[in-house]
Amino acid sequence: MAEVVLTNVQKAYGPVVAVKDISLDVKDREFVVLVGPSGCGKSTTLRMIAGLEEVSGGTIAIGGRVVNHLQPKDRDIAMVFQNYALYQHMSVRDNLGFGLRNRRVPEPEIAAAVARAARTLSIEPLLDRRPRQLSGGQQQRVALGRCLVRNPKVFLFDEPLSNLDAQLRTQMRTELKELRLRVPTTSIFVTHDQIEAMTLGDRIVVMKDGVMHQVGTPLELYRRPVNRFVASFIGSPAMNFLDVDVACEAETFTLSCRGLRLALPSRAFPNLGSCVGQSVCIGMRPQHIRLGPPANASEVGFKGTVMVTEQLGDEQVLVVRLGATDIRVAGVDPDLKLATGSELEAAIATANLHFFDAE
Amino acid sequence: MTTLLTGRPFSSARREAGFFSALAPRGKAVLFALAAIAVCALFAFPVFWLVLTSLRPGTGVYYVHRGTEFTIDNFHEVLSQEIVLRALFNSFMISTVATVLSLGVTATSGYMLSRFKGPIPNTWFSLIYIFRCVPYVAWVLPLYFVTQRLGIFDTYWGLLFPHVAVHICFFSWIMKGFFDGIDPSMEYAAMIDGCSRWGAFWRVAMPAAIPGLTALAILCWLYTWNEFLFALILTAHETPILTVVMAQFVHELGMEWHLMSATAVIALVPALIVTLFGQKYVVRGLRI
Repeated sequence: MAEVVLTNVQKAYGPVVAVKDISLDVKDREFVVLVGPSGCGKSTTLRMIAGLEEVSGGTIAIGGRVVNHLQPKDRDIAMVFQNYALYQHMSVRDNLGFGLRNRRVPEPEIAAAVARAARTLSIEPLLDRRPRQLSGGQQQRVALGRCLVRNPKVFLFDEPLSNLDAQLRTQMRTELKELRLRVPTTSIFVTHDQIEAMTLGDRIVVMKDGVMHQVGTPLELYRRPVNRFVASFIGSPAMNFLDVDVACEAETFTLSCRGLRLALPSRAFPNLGSCVGQSVCIGMRPQHIRLGPPANASEVGFKGTVMVTEQLGDEQVLVVRLGATDIRVAGVDPDLKLATGSELEAAIATANLHFFDAE
Repeated sequence: MTTLLTGRPFSSARREAGFFSALAPRGKAVLFALAAIAVCALFAFPVFWLVLTSLRPGTGVYYVHRGTEFTIDNFHEVLSQEIVLRALFNSFMISTVATVLSLGVTATSGYMLSRFKGPIPNTWFSLIYIFRCVPYVAWVLPLYFVTQRLGIFDTYWGLLFPHVAVHICFFSWIMKGFFDGIDPSMEYAAMIDGCSRWGAFWRVAMPAAIPGLTALAILCWLYTWNEFLFALILTAHETPILTVVMAQFVHELGMEWHLMSATAVIALVPALIVTLFGQKYVVRGLRI
């Protein structure tokens, strides 16, 4: 068990900077998820922690020891890869024992550790098979087992669920959570799937273009995204954005764009004062928008035209046109019949409005 | 729905399809078999003729298709010549050692080309490419002078070095292809599991490349065993090579086709064994 500390870590491939100045403190036994779109530098960061990529600048420390110049084998880490990376020419048993055998652990101890890991992951019947003879889910369990047997300081996961089909992915996600409770090891998990990030992580690091945009618990990221990118990346369906002009009239801020005009009490939004005469971006989560007129003073209302309805069974998602922008409204009663082109009124609590810099 | 319930259009369509499908595969199979037989015959006929010639007395080699007299004296005569036995041994040794040396270099070279980027692999790749562009026959004369100068003309080394060099140029590319097909994350996993880079190559990448390596070993061995040009120019009496000895049955006193054929049939046997043994590995290896 150990903490992982990244201090101003950088990675450059010639003139291309893949990871820019990342500082992160992963606490002992914490499960941190690095999430972001393809090419955001999350896998490169993980590979630098593993020692598979050299660090161009900054330091990486595991358990208080700077490991920048240590070989992967000397960092006491274990890693699960996207495509499992099992040794195809070995049986499952030998795959599991490979790391211990390399460290010259006595055979009886290896056998015991392998049996223990196999029992934990319910892969005992598969021990004498070759990886080729296993399904994707079974291979992923073996890959997890290979990490477990060594009892390392840190687990690194590089998109381990991406190759599984949707149903199996959900199942493995649950199994990973259960496994965490039994084996609470410091873990860093890389994914591009925000649902995986939200469900698995104690804390989430959102990355884009090699830069860390926000670090926080899943709820912090969902409720208080620091910028438009984080807001758009976390949550499904994605947050709606509207670029509006800010004006101040007496005690009220007026936010307006084509087809929309929102009046907000200026006392509730002191920060908007500095934006008067400028454009800002309003963010509204589809789940926070309610059909109908504002119920009280804490809500603001607007009108729009229904463009598309998406029936999901337990709810409907509407695409509503406000002036020139389409927004989504989620959580609509599935039995509500709404014709395309019909006008509707909707409202949102002002507390649920997010404000970002306009693009 | 109606169609399925009444059944009529569905069943009649199936009957028609059944009629054609019953005929078509059989017709296709017959055509395919005929084509396969024709191609096999095309390749097998010269070998058949060669074997027939080797079994005919010296006087009957021009009437192979007419004579009825067969003998194994040609084999006796050939195998009683010391130079043929020495040539057999030399050819076997050179083929085997060249294969081992070539694969040793080719595996590492192919791995480097597949896994590493930078000036060294790029230079190596360009070098191989340039060598590959030079016609094979153009190497012969310079190699003759080089081996003379190094004092290795007409020795094992004098033939081994050129063969290994040619194999490296030829097969490094193929080996690169094999390693490209092997997932590198397996090696990363091994490095995390306690292996060095070299250990990951040796213990994980190499076993995964065994089908490819076996295929290359067989191709390499057969290539050296059958090679004639280098052997002709770079060897003389001290290191006779089977392909050259075979050609020497054509001399100023005439052409001893029967002895040449007998030697060729003897040369065919190891090649045949290697091919029969290795066929499945070659197919599997080249499919990676």
